[in-house]
Amino acid sequence: MLENLKAATFEVLETMFFLFPESWEEGSGLLHGPGIRAWVAIQGPNAFKVGLTVPLKMAQEMVTNFLGITEDQLSPEKVEDVLKEAANMVAGAFLGREGASASFNLMPPQVKRLNLEDEKWEDNGNHVLLAVDDYGMEVFLEKN
Amino acid sequence: MAYNVLIVDDSATMRALIRKILSISGFDVGEYFEGANGREALAVLEQHWVDIILSDLHMPEMDGAELVKALQDHNLWRNIPVVLITTESRQEVLEPFVQQGVQGYIRKPFKPETIRDKLITILGGELHVGELEGCDF
Repeated sequence: MLENLKAATFEVLETMFFLFPESWEEGSGLLHGPGIRAWVAIQGPNAFKVGLTVPLKMAQEMVTNFLGITEDQLSPEKVEDVLKEAANMVAGAFLGREGASASFNLMPPQVKRLNLEDEKWEDNGNHVLLAVDDYGMEVFLEKN
Repeated sequence: MAYNVLIVDDSATMRALIRKILSISGFDVGEYFEGANGREALAVLEQHWVDIILSDLHMPEMDGAELVKALQDHNLWRNIPVVLITTESRQEVLEPFVQQGVQGYIRKPFKPETIRDKLITILGGELHVGELEGCDF
């Protein structure tokens, strides 16, 4: 499952955000400071969440790449909206790669701000850590 | 010939992105209209002539499936081409919409040229070649 999650994330980041992630398994060095997490709950035979966590700086870069705008055109709303859309696309691409049946449904994406210093990043079998330029990114699967 | 385009998506960001892609693609757009869900889309159609609808599937209040059904039930609107632009990637979910008369679907993530090419295929529109120069796609 994590391989499909990783492949779905690569597809979304490369196609829509012009970012080219690499695998990264060396802990929390690239995930610190203020961050943002977006996720999509998936209902069906198994209920779970698919989401991603990134430093705020990376989120801002994602928005400028995605919308083709400059940094001075950024707003908190745009950042949250784009991160939700990213989580939505990763979740949709993941379900497709998993060959999930139509009985699985994507719920509206959600988002929250967080301090990345408060989070634990060690390998737990439920997430993938990626490096994107100077930033870290977590993509996760979580049972409801 | 310029075409009026209705973009239906609950994400204002995604509507802005699609609009931007179309505006730089060289596809000849007359007017843009937007709706955040199927209900708002129908309200637009009450007031304006639209040549093609680009709609998300998962939306609050009235989703893409309900919008397609409402269009099919209307004497005039059933002839407006609809393209679904959606995160949904499962064939078994999308194909029934094609059976219902939807002209096609574009899966997110998508390359910008995918939208342009789909519209040209459906509407037979023309590109303003000069506008494409310097464009990334």
